[in-house]
Amino acid sequence: MSRSWTRTTAAVSVVTALALLTGCGGDDDSSSDAGRGTADKPVTLTFWAWQKGSKDVVDAFNASHKNIRVDFEEIPSGNAGGYAKISNAVKAGNGPDLVAVEYPMLPEFVSQGALQDIGPHLTDEVRKKFLPQAVDLTTLGGKSWAVPFDAAPQTYFYRKDFFEKNRIEVPRTWAEFRTAAEKAKKADPKARIATFMPDDPTTFEAMAWQAGAQWFKAEGDTWKVNTSDAATTKVADYWQGLIDDRLVQTAVSFSPEWTAALKDGSTVGYLGASWGAGVLKSTLPDQSGKWGIAPVPTWDGRPASGMLGGSTWAVTKGSRKAAAAVEFATWMSTTEEGVRARIAPGTSSAFPADVALRPAAKKAFDAGFYGGQDIYRLFDEAGASINPRWSWGPTTGTTNTTLKDQLGKVSGGSVTVRGAVRAAHDATVAELKKRGLKVEG
Amino acid sequence: MAAKARTSRRTGAAAGVLLTPFFVLFTAVTVVPIGYAVWLSLFTEKQSGLGFDGAESVFSGLDNYTAALGDRAFRDGFWILLGYCAVYIPLMVGGALALALLLDSGLARARRFFQLALFLPHAVPGIIAALIWVYLYTPGLSPVVRAMDSGGIGFSFFSPDGALPSVVNIALWEWLGYNMVIFYAALQAIDRSVLEAATVDGAGAWRTAFSIKVPLVRASLGMVALFTVIGSLQLFTEPLILNQGSGSAVTSTWTPNMYAYTAAFARNDYGLAAAAAVLLALTAALLSFAVTRLTTRKGARA
Repeated sequence: MSRSWTRTTAAVSVVTALALLTGCGGDDDSSSDAGRGTADKPVTLTFWAWQKGSKDVVDAFNASHKNIRVDFEEIPSGNAGGYAKISNAVKAGNGPDLVAVEYPMLPEFVSQGALQDIGPHLTDEVRKKFLPQAVDLTTLGGKSWAVPFDAAPQTYFYRKDFFEKNRIEVPRTWAEFRTAAEKAKKADPKARIATFMPDDPTTFEAMAWQAGAQWFKAEGDTWKVNTSDAATTKVADYWQGLIDDRLVQTAVSFSPEWTAALKDGSTVGYLGASWGAGVLKSTLPDQSGKWGIAPVPTWDGRPASGMLGGSTWAVTKGSRKAAAAVEFATWMSTTEEGVRARIAPGTSSAFPADVALRPAAKKAFDAGFYGGQDIYRLFDEAGASINPRWSWGPTTGTTNTTLKDQLGKVSGGSVTVRGAVRAAHDATVAELKKRGLKVEG
Repeated sequence: MAAKARTSRRTGAAAGVLLTPFFVLFTAVTVVPIGYAVWLSLFTEKQSGLGFDGAESVFSGLDNYTAALGDRAFRDGFWILLGYCAVYIPLMVGGALALALLLDSGLARARRFFQLALFLPHAVPGIIAALIWVYLYTPGLSPVVRAMDSGGIGFSFFSPDGALPSVVNIALWEWLGYNMVIFYAALQAIDRSVLEAATVDGAGAWRTAFSIKVPLVRASLGMVALFTVIGSLQLFTEPLILNQGSGSAVTSTWTPNMYAYTAAFARNDYGLAAAAAVLLALTAALLSFAVTRLTTRKGARA
């Protein structure tokens, strides 16, 4: 018994090894025509992403196109190892043609030299379709580096039933948000209206963005790094207060702990972004109809938003199929079929950066989970209020890793939120200097 | 004379044939990668302008080494390792030895069962073990934490103070049984007549254990200490899982190994990662040299 098992295992491993070897050897279908395929001689693209619904989009594309075939591989989400996988593969020279990169990480990839300028394949006509903020974030040093896919305005998700039952008003300002948190805690000592996610620096960054901070500013060829401005400090102190007074739950983003707290009703809110609508819907099918979405609270009551994540499609340095890759990426981002194929299965609530596609997205998303609320209109208004002044620096890997490390110590009390930001600042400046770039800050 | 020469020639050829596979593999999987790491550690990626024109690999001498040594996060990693060793090694060696002595003494019942039960955790891969423990540490999910809370012991495994005990606990769980088996085997190998002589001389169980058995298994003690020290320097999987999956105070640069990993895979600085890895390897080499010297000298005197 055990011997035959061993033998089978050995046979399987040999076969796998051979398959890998031949796989490595057989990947040289380099096309001479810059990679735009024809029906007779289709181009095969490899595409790595983790965004919900990607598999469905690829299937729909392959079914309707003869000149390009897309091989899709689902990878872990960027910060959970996906980015490391992409940059190692590109460095090793066996990267895919097209990859998903979120806006914050795009400058880091560009500065590593992992991507190629797709300007020549991206017409002005296509470019004009997108939200200007998304175009700005994908244009670095005067070149276009990615096809924007979605915009990710911040939103606040809350349990309508809990808020109504306890007569808590949906907060419009951050001051009201704190009051609402206190009321919720008073109504039910276990209830928290939001979660502090110590592993997630991006929510904090989105709030700093919303408040008007500008961490990275390029002036000439110098990076000006400023994280001790009034806006960032205000946000840091605000979160410090919520954490110190135990008005928010502490849990890792999308962890079993977070999910368990949502399921048992002790967490009754979530500070997220447009794409979170699909996440909640697929995580908590039992709570259908109980959730509502509101614009994210602001400091002065006037609409304002940062961007929390948001994805783009970028072509890797080594790819010789840029034209086909951009054609496919453009199809995913700017056609009704592409958007419908992603959203209709129900796990994605992506908010297209292509403004004209929003009605199609709205039609494809079943908002029954939110009691039929017109969530895409809400996203639309939130999207228009995204503060256009923010840009990301080329050291997001270092900045966010350091911020994450320090935020992990905040709930234990050994580090303050302000201290965490300070540490991230110092690490960022040191990293920029190490790379030989000019930096002030 | 001629026959002798032929034999020695034949021995030489045989030795050559038998040693070649070893040296080929040794070169391919040890010497070359180490050489490559040292080579990588001498280069830095430099950029120009705002950094969007791509990177260029530039020879930078020992810059990566000074950068690593100058980084507080890297140096802190060694302090954490020191703290870890100070807590872990006595607990591990003492615990494993105590269990082995217990099993070896006449007191133990169901010896085979306990041997197996204690060894079993070692059969669980480190990643799985860490995942299990993360679950058991997570407030709100873990029955252990709930039981502790209701028993009045509020301890946060993810807090800055809880980080070290959390990792030590996982490592103990994984390795205690393994080292216990090594000690037990050594104890079993002791000549029974020596123990009988001790009993005849009037030594009790305690006296036999401490004055006869422990000195006789000193070689195993030295070996376990050596492996544990080297293993501790390599500390990686368990804290990495705690770092990535739990939002605990274990940072991404908690140990030097993790520092190298983060430098390579989160910060994309392969030169810095290589330099950190080389520094860690040097430390490990020095330490193993010191431990071997210490234990052999003690052994020789005994």
